[in-house]
Amino acid sequence: MRYRRRTGHSSKNTTKEIPPANSSTNDTDALKPDITSSLEHIRTTLGNSTDIVIREIPLDEEEKHYMAILYTDGLADQKVISESVMMVVADITKSLVKEDNEYSQPFDGQKILEKVSLVNHEIQTITDYKKLFHALLSGDTIFLIDGLDRGIAAGTRGWKDRGVMETSAENVVRGPRESFSESLRTNTALIRRKIKDPNLWMETKQIGRITQTDVAIMYIHGIANDKIVEEVRTRLDRIDVDSILESGYIEELIQDKTLSPFPTVYNTERPDVIAAELLEGKIAILVDGTPFVLVVPALFVSFLHAAEDYYQRADISSFLRLLRYLSIFISLLGPSLYIAITTFHQEMLPTRLIFGLAGQREQVPFPAFVEAVLMELTFEILREAGVRLPKNIGSAISIVGTLVIGQAAVEAGIISPAMVIVVAITAISSFVVPSFNMSIAFRMLRFPLMALAGSFGLFGILVGVIAIVLHLCSLRSFGVPYMSPFAPLIPEGQKDSIFRLPHWLLSSRPRLINQTNYKRRKRTPPRKSRE
Amino acid sequence: MKRILALILLHIVVTLLLSGCWNRRELNELAIAVAAGVDWVDDRYRLTVQVAIPGQVTSKKSGGPQAPATLYTAEGDTIFEASRRMTQVSPRKIYFSHLRMFLMDEAMAREGIAKVLDLLSRDHEFRPDFYLVITRGATAEETLKIMTQMETIPANKLYESLQTSEKAWSASMTVTLDELINDLTSSGKHPVLTGLIITGDRDIGRTRKNVENIDTPGQLKYSGLAVFKLDKLIGWLNEKDSRNYRLISGDVKSSVSFIPCKNEGKIIIETLRTDSKLKGRIVESRPEMDIRINMEGNIGAVECSGLDLSEPATVRELEAEMEENLKRSLESVVDKVQSKFKVDIFGFGEAFRRSHPREWKEMEKTWNERYFPNLKTNIHVDYKIRRTGTTNDTFLNDIKE
Repeated sequence: MRYRRRTGHSSKNTTKEIPPANSSTNDTDALKPDITSSLEHIRTTLGNSTDIVIREIPLDEEEKHYMAILYTDGLADQKVISESVMMVVADITKSLVKEDNEYSQPFDGQKILEKVSLVNHEIQTITDYKKLFHALLSGDTIFLIDGLDRGIAAGTRGWKDRGVMETSAENVVRGPRESFSESLRTNTALIRRKIKDPNLWMETKQIGRITQTDVAIMYIHGIANDKIVEEVRTRLDRIDVDSILESGYIEELIQDKTLSPFPTVYNTERPDVIAAELLEGKIAILVDGTPFVLVVPALFVSFLHAAEDYYQRADISSFLRLLRYLSIFISLLGPSLYIAITTFHQEMLPTRLIFGLAGQREQVPFPAFVEAVLMELTFEILREAGVRLPKNIGSAISIVGTLVIGQAAVEAGIISPAMVIVVAITAISSFVVPSFNMSIAFRMLRFPLMALAGSFGLFGILVGVIAIVLHLCSLRSFGVPYMSPFAPLIPEGQKDSIFRLPHWLLSSRPRLINQTNYKRRKRTPPRKSRE
Repeated sequence: MKRILALILLHIVVTLLLSGCWNRRELNELAIAVAAGVDWVDDRYRLTVQVAIPGQVTSKKSGGPQAPATLYTAEGDTIFEASRRMTQVSPRKIYFSHLRMFLMDEAMAREGIAKVLDLLSRDHEFRPDFYLVITRGATAEETLKIMTQMETIPANKLYESLQTSEKAWSASMTVTLDELINDLTSSGKHPVLTGLIITGDRDIGRTRKNVENIDTPGQLKYSGLAVFKLDKLIGWLNEKDSRNYRLISGDVKSSVSFIPCKNEGKIIIETLRTDSKLKGRIVESRPEMDIRINMEGNIGAVECSGLDLSEPATVRELEAEMEENLKRSLESVVDKVQSKFKVDIFGFGEAFRRSHPREWKEMEKTWNERYFPNLKTNIHVDYKIRRTGTTNDTFLNDIKE
């Protein structure tokens, strides 16, 4: 869909005309006093698009002078248009016309402009076409008056919005249920509602030559490191692409290292997570049109932390985190360990177990490596199919999956039952990782590790793991070492990495992100009240 | 530059893949040996290997026409040679890492076991956690042919039953390769290995008939301990002596013994904990051995009436009697070994080496000939009866005629 729409657009205009046209003399040109030619220019530039509403209202007897109201149907709020915009128009005409339906006053553009500017609270003076088009296509209503070289844009943005709905990607047992939506304004409001501090600052930019997408940077002044904020600004300013349709575009354009399976920019759709990250001194990047908000700098550990870790009690959270760390190891190494041990190091298995495994493998025609790759691929295909399928036929996949993989393959003697167990536990473990892009990183690395295990055994796995660890330690996210607080080791940071200590012990913010203001709270244990 | 680097990297990766998979073996390419036996036949080694058939062991429909294991035999001037010659009959290369039992027949043991052991300890494929036993009255080959019930793989049966009997009855003992080599190389202790015999009908024992009925005609049974002088077998200890020998060496976990009642019947006591301390002493320039054994037990059964077990005095009496009994039988086994075998299998010399290293240097050479047979031993047994089971007095007291 998206692809087609874009090519359709570019086939006529974009490829040759639009990119230069956008920056051409016409757009940056100031508005001309002659309204007829202005409207003509607007019409041609927009290609007479049918959703652009242009109403012309005569302002004097000879209908020489008139004003124009422009808005984009669907983007502008119909209610606001009909109530305040039309009200102002009615007001103006009423003041001009006497009871006998004759225009009493000669035309005075300046006066009318003053009246128009009372239409509502969001008023912006427009002097050039670039501003005009941006406002118009963002849903604002434009007032142009004959004879004046400036117009007025009134904030009437309001379109059909999905609204604040329940989270779909990051579920919790306990904690807020709301998630971001596609509208930037709603999203910033959701964050503001959580942090009512004057130091929560926000900057907005338009990125994307054609899409002109609103991108907001949010941070808490005084907690966030100024250098990193500056770095985010420069990296965002350096972006020069024609479109930003999702925060993923921005993520790829600002991340430190492109050739890495590991994400160095965190994303979430939960306002509470963003609030917590802001309070740790991180910087949020909100992109209009997507519920996924980016957070930089991102550390490896934050991809393994769930929002709920801070809402459940410390002991529960610590246990769950340990479980998560264990499961990333299983999801990374499960099949490769099985391959290595059963094809190279049979002496490591307990004797009874090796009889069991050997008995299952008696009729299997493939080497363990091929068997594992087959099964892992099948699983990945099933998983991907499950994501893409319409929800109501999604259950078909699970039936096919269990029947094909679980039973038929085993009964046909193609796969050994032990391999099914290994693949299943690996698959389940990979779903434990709260962040999708981190879990997919481990899933991808599983395949090279399996190849290493299939050709070198445990030795190969060891080499592979060392390579992964070295790579992880070399990564940085906006200058902050990715693996901190493990490498470099920061003792204070250990309180909230593998374990989560009680809140009253978490007295400082992550040290490498906050270099000045790192005290979070006084370190006092809760006391029993004395009677 | 980048191109060249990429090319080099590509070549390395490709060569890695081309080199093949070194010593990769799929599970279904292995013949997993579970037991091996060496017989000394006409001055040659005869190696017998019991190989498990995994499909037979795990498949739900076991009891098919195939046996759970198969046997390969080959002869050779060396064991290594014999084991490679075996590939003439075996479809897969024998894989020794999961060996459970290593058997040697009596002839082999009398010839000397040391040269066999070197291969076992040198070869990387052997995982040294298998147990070594000596077959008695039968060759290792014959022994490995007996079919067993419950544990379908005979080697597993041998392994499990040696472990359990060591723990619960204590007349046999598990000896791994390391322990055996330790004993062989130590100057103050000589090795001892458990004996294995075939009871009942050997001919039926070899067939499936053996496991078809409730009654199993041919059985494998551990019996007695083989006494070695260095690496050569010189004789056997019977069951009772074996148990007492193990008490002195202090690794009995649990056993059963009894004392006669004053009237008729016996009081059976279950030993739960033992601990022995060997301590050498030099008295008037002659070595003496203090053997101190602490034991704890429960009353297992009472066959006689008129015994008031709730009375601490009665229990104390029983303890004293137990101590007396044990002392006598321990003395007898020490005597027997001293006079009959003249080989220090108890590790007395080892105890001396630890307590009197300087004197030991002088005694070391002639220990077995001069000192050990005449060594004075002071045995002290301390027996504690802890519990009387779920009842106090036996109901036999209440049976009135």
